[in-house]
This record gives sequence, C-alpha cells and structure tokens, in this order.
Amino acid sequence: MCVASLAASGRALAHHSFAAEFDEKKPVSLTGTVTKLEWTNPHIWFFMDVKSPDGSVTNWGFEMGGTAQLLRAGWKRDSMKIGDVVAVDAYRSRDDSNRANARSVTLTNTGQKLFAGSQAP
Amino acid sequence: MLSAVLLSVMTATTSAQWLSIPLPGTPRTPDGKPNINAPAPKTADGKPDLSGIWKADTMRYNDNLLPPGTEAPMLPWAAEVYKHRVATMGYDRPMTFCMPHGVPDNMTVAGLPFKIIQTPNVMIVLFEEFHVYRQIQTDGRALPIDPDPAWYGYSIGRWDGDTFIVDTAGFKGVVGDNSREGSWLDNNGHPHTDALHLTERFRRTNFGHMEMQVTVDDPKAYTRTWTSDTMRFTLQPDTELLEHLCENNRDLTSLQQYWKGQEQAAPSTAGKQ
Repeated sequence: MCVASLAASGRALAHHSFAAEFDEKKPVSLTGTVTKLEWTNPHIWFFMDVKSPDGSVTNWGFEMGGTAQLLRAGWKRDSMKIGDVVAVDAYRSRDDSNRANARSVTLTNTGQKLFAGSQAP
Repeated sequence: MLSAVLLSVMTATTSAQWLSIPLPGTPRTPDGKPNINAPAPKTADGKPDLSGIWKADTMRYNDNLLPPGTEAPMLPWAAEVYKHRVATMGYDRPMTFCMPHGVPDNMTVAGLPFKIIQTPNVMIVLFEEFHVYRQIQTDGRALPIDPDPAWYGYSIGRWDGDTFIVDTAGFKGVVGDNSREGSWLDNNGHPHTDALHLTERFRRTNFGHMEMQVTVDDPKAYTRTWTSDTMRFTLQPDTELLEHLCENNRDLTSLQQYWKGQEQAAPSTAGKQ
C-alpha cells in the first residue's frame, strides 16, 4: 500500500538525486536470500541471491534509506541477517544493472513488512 | 501518570538508541504526551526560544524554494545552468559527492531533521544530514568584510519582535564556467554566486511549529531579489539526532557513468557566465 502511494506521488528520497539513478517506471518485486548487509550511511545497502525459474542465480544490490531513517521506520540493525529470505519491492536503476532502490522489505520468517526508503510516508 | 513516566524511562534506558527519550522542558498534555500546540517557549530575556529538533513538513521546499507556480528571475547564464541541472535530474548535486546542502536548503531535507540550540550569543544549528553544523552569531557583531568564501557563508542574527532575522553572506558560489563551486539553493538547482546575500526570517508560532521565509539577493545571478515560499517545520519531540556520516557512497560511480554517457550523447554548454 505504501509502495503504491509513493509511486503515485512521484516522490522518492535519497541523499543523492533518486530520479537520476533509479526509475520509478521500472518497479521490481523480487524474493531472495540475503548475502551481504552494509548497515551504513548515507544509505544502507544489502545484496541477495535471486533464483530464476531456470535455476540460475543472480545477485542483486538494493539501496535503502540511512540508518537513522530506517531505525525511525521500525528497523533494528539485526532485523535482516545474512541467510534470511526476504521479499523486496523496489525501483530498478536507469542503467538496467542489477541494482534497485528498495521501497519496502518483507521479512518472510516473521511476515513483517518494513518501509525501506529515506522518509516514512 | 507515575507509571507512565517510569515505563517511558525504562524504555529509554533499555533502548540502544535515543530514538524515544523524554526530554525536559517539553510541555505535556494530561496523558503525558508532548503538547505541540502549547505556547512557544521564551528565554530568560523574554525572546522566543527556537531550540528543538525540527523537520520540514514537506520535501517540496527542498525541491524548489519558490512558491508554486512562480519562477526565479534568473539572468540568462543562471537560467542555462538551472535548465541543465533539471534536464540531468540533478545527478551532480553536491550530495552526490557527499557535500551537504547549504543555506537555507539544509533545513528543508524532510527525511533528516536538524536541531537548533539557542544560547545568548550564538545560535547553533546541527544538521543530521552529513553531521554538519551552522553558527548564527547573535552577539551584535557585523558581517565580516571580504571574508574567505565559505559553503555556509557567515551568519548574524537579531530579533525584530518575535521574528528572528538572519543575514548571511560570504558564500562560495558559481565562478565563471565552474558550476560546481558552492551549494545549490535547492535540489532543482537554482544557482548562486559569491555575491549571494540571504535574509532568513524565522518565527516559532507555538511549541511545535516554526515557519521561515528567505529572501535571495544575488545580483550576479538574478535580475532582482526574490522571496521563497513560506516554509513550515514541525518539532520532533522526545527524540534525538542520530549519526549520518557519508561513509559508504555507492551511488557516485554509477551516477557518473550513466550521466556521462547521456551527456556525451547530448552535450551542453551550460555554466558560462
């Protein structure tokens, strides 16, 4: 729901120009296994392996808000751990690489859906 | 009431962060919640006290300082720079290089609050974004003559009734065809030069609300002075600023690669004064 309202409002925030790097016209929803987490500023990044129907595995990188922004949105630094399976709603990068800006992350072991952007809607 | 206070104190001490911590001096409603509609606090000398953690009500001011539907009276070279910045979606904003927003737009980053600490001789503004600060001198000194140009310039403040008026000059700004020098006035990219003189007018309307307007005087970039939209801020009670240093800037390389490719396809001559 919050993803839809963000897309509709055309607003997505980042320390850099969001629109210059990611494309709101390229939404992606992916589920995978977390391989790396950088709990850092100005943005948190995490990486996950996504398995295709043909069995091949692709590693994707996702940008989220900064640590303060995610803590205010209800995250803890151990909310997501390496090996966890998560579902991500994101906007893909303009250069079509396997990078995207995550808007929300659902932790599949608890079902908790967390806002992942730079400002709570 | 006592149990509510004890509970909140326990919550605060068991949390690793200070995201939620009761702050002294906060007016409260009978149920213990911060009363953001209480009167604005005053200092010992009777002036309004702007101290507190503030957040802009909307990101719109950060995008564009001007009132909706209006345009800044830009000189032709400034209009070219602005057009180029908008066309390239602001990919080379200072923040891309981990440089901060400036004056006044560091206060309008709605996702990252700022903290005002008002003391008798100086007002200090701490910005969560990139862990930077600004000082507004209130000891009666004048603006410096021929100062070394600075990202935030030099600020002096005075009271006019309940309005705090801040004059700032001595900025780094666009010089010749180097449009990378100094801050942008907003994220859309209104440029400024070293001739910039800003006049900010702050008013704390009650405990939880503050508004500000800024007048931009930069004869090297604009045909006349112009005034921003009225920007509104809401107090963030019972919380603290957290660290936000630019330690992991993964965006820079991909932004530069993508947009250099775009610009090679469509070169621009923007930035010539």
